[in-house]
Amino acid sequence: MITHAPSTAATAAPSETDLTARKPLGMLLAAAFLWLLVSGGLSLVTAIQLHTPGFLADCAMFTHGRAQALQETVFIYGWAANAAFAVAVWILGRLSGAPLRGVGLMTVGTFFWNLAVLVGLVAIAVGELTGIPFLQMPAYVHPFLLVAGAAIATPGILAWTGRRITTMFAAQWYAVAALLLFVWSYSTAQVLLLASPVHGVAQAVVAAWFAETEVSLWLIPVALAAAYYLLPKISGRVIPNYDYAPHGFWTLIFFASFTGARSLVGAPVPAWIPTLAIVCSSLLLFHYFVLGLNLRAGLAGGRGNPILSFVSAGLLVYLLGGIVTAVFAFRGFAQIVQFTFFPVAQLKLMLAGAFSLPIFGAIYFLAPRVTGVAWPSTALIRAHFVLTVLGLTVTVVSLAIAGWVQGHGLLDPAKNFAAIAASTKPWLLAATAGEAIFLLGSVIAAFHFFRLQCAACRGLLCGSPATLEASAS
Amino acid sequence: MSDQPTPDFRPAKPLTDEELLHAHEQITATEKDDGGSYKLLPLVLLFLFSGLIFFGGTYLNLFSGHFSPKIFDERNLPHAHEDPNALPVKIDMVAYGKKQYESFCHTCHQPNGLGIPGAFPPLAKSEWVQDSEERLIRIVLHGLNGPVSVAGVTFNGIMPAAGPTGAGWSDDRIAAVLTYIRQEWGNKAGPIATEKVTEVRTKDGTRKEWTAVELEKIP
Repeated sequence: MITHAPSTAATAAPSETDLTARKPLGMLLAAAFLWLLVSGGLSLVTAIQLHTPGFLADCAMFTHGRAQALQETVFIYGWAANAAFAVAVWILGRLSGAPLRGVGLMTVGTFFWNLAVLVGLVAIAVGELTGIPFLQMPAYVHPFLLVAGAAIATPGILAWTGRRITTMFAAQWYAVAALLLFVWSYSTAQVLLLASPVHGVAQAVVAAWFAETEVSLWLIPVALAAAYYLLPKISGRVIPNYDYAPHGFWTLIFFASFTGARSLVGAPVPAWIPTLAIVCSSLLLFHYFVLGLNLRAGLAGGRGNPILSFVSAGLLVYLLGGIVTAVFAFRGFAQIVQFTFFPVAQLKLMLAGAFSLPIFGAIYFLAPRVTGVAWPSTALIRAHFVLTVLGLTVTVVSLAIAGWVQGHGLLDPAKNFAAIAASTKPWLLAATAGEAIFLLGSVIAAFHFFRLQCAACRGLLCGSPATLEASAS
Repeated sequence: MSDQPTPDFRPAKPLTDEELLHAHEQITATEKDDGGSYKLLPLVLLFLFSGLIFFGGTYLNLFSGHFSPKIFDERNLPHAHEDPNALPVKIDMVAYGKKQYESFCHTCHQPNGLGIPGAFPPLAKSEWVQDSEERLIRIVLHGLNGPVSVAGVTFNGIMPAAGPTGAGWSDDRIAAVLTYIRQEWGNKAGPIATEKVTEVRTKDGTRKEWTAVELEKIP
């Protein structure tokens, strides 16, 4: 294993990438944190409605169907998209060894992306939702999002194609793949589901494919890029067994998009479609194995560094989620947990855990370097970590148990529906508590981030050397 | 970390971006041969992946429903529940015959069965079609040459054979097309069985076209 002594010369000045990225990244992350708060609030509303159906039932825009669609949309297109774009572009810029190009495009793209999300949310609130998972906003919003998203991604792609250091590192593969596959899957889904919808059951197949690619080939790769980038940088050690990293990468790229149809077990689709999805879920175990091998240093824990804590918790959740997905894809299990709270828990595990945790870590790492100001408080970061992990664990575990209980109840013809609903209630109450804890963590993180931004603005206004705290490493 | 009041998470032993890239490039670029000894990990990965592929292939083979677009239940394959005593599927001889007629006969006798005056005789209301099965089968099987009187009008042409000496149609195709023309266009004669065509074919074997005079001797 090779270790590197700190290079004393490089730590003084901020890197060119960070200086050029300051404005668009600030916008992206500010938007991301605002949407995260909205999403947390909506999660709480939908969680309460599951055990207290009367909650906000008289307010049309907060009826469960719309609140659920709003929450999903805010999380994916608000929090996750903004944060993922910021982290992916920043990592690509950093590893290109050159200032970012096309930053203006990114700024404009960020503005229009968030404007379009806002329009889409208003449309959902007044009842104009499509009913397609992850594509709930009406058809006219999505083309704008596609163009804006492509504009935000452009500096990342330009940084990669025009990199000064010709070597490629695993973090770059994942980040570039995420940006390109986002455009691929999002545009395909828009054509096949909204512009000229395919007919019959093919629609369900395409929708399942899209929901899976959004998570596995767009958001998750950014989190993996962050993990591959942060672990060696912070620990100062190279990735162990790095030669196998390409195998892990290609198995994900090749098999992940086929796994979506596992949710169609028992649906009126040709039997081979869910079967292929089950097989590909199993084949992805190879991806998780290589990832665990490469990033096992991170699995050992943060060793006091809160950024590493976030990344390693995210990795653990990702590996756990992968194994759960592979096991519960099989028909014997799927028939029990299908149409219960269990898949909700699985999705939460992937989005709020495997994706969000490493991304939080990456934001804590990049924000001081980009703004040139140190985080005001370590305690707040630790509090965020503890609350997030606690909230996530409570929510996911209770929803999974609720789903398991519910699934067995639904398969028992002797049990009536009201009895099944009553049996899940304690777990749903626990899940609500978990959502509240998670939201509290998000509030702390957002508050902390905006304090950092304010400090950075003051620094710029006073003309003080804001670069003091920024590290070029 | 906790002793640092204002953290920017500068690592104790930081890697700059360039160091990070070059350190990892070295790993992939210098793949050394360790003097004849081999590493265990590549083998483990190879076996793991092969095992997964083997499992996946087997599972796919068992539960793919032969990749058929019509099989929705992977355990309920059609061949598993096939009844060995099931009767063969009944074919609608009229529909089958209509297809044959439209593929071959209609060029001369026309889709409306009226033929072309002066050139090809009509089938509609034709005594040749409706009266003797024996004659009709022989005309189609072996063909007809020379003058023939149909519904009081004399035609002089040649009708090619559809049987073994001509187009090579099977007995059931011939039976089907004859059944069809005997009930179409107002004709009201009974169907012709495949067995009857077979019987005539075996009796007469292969021969040249009939003439109307020869046919009229047959009942």
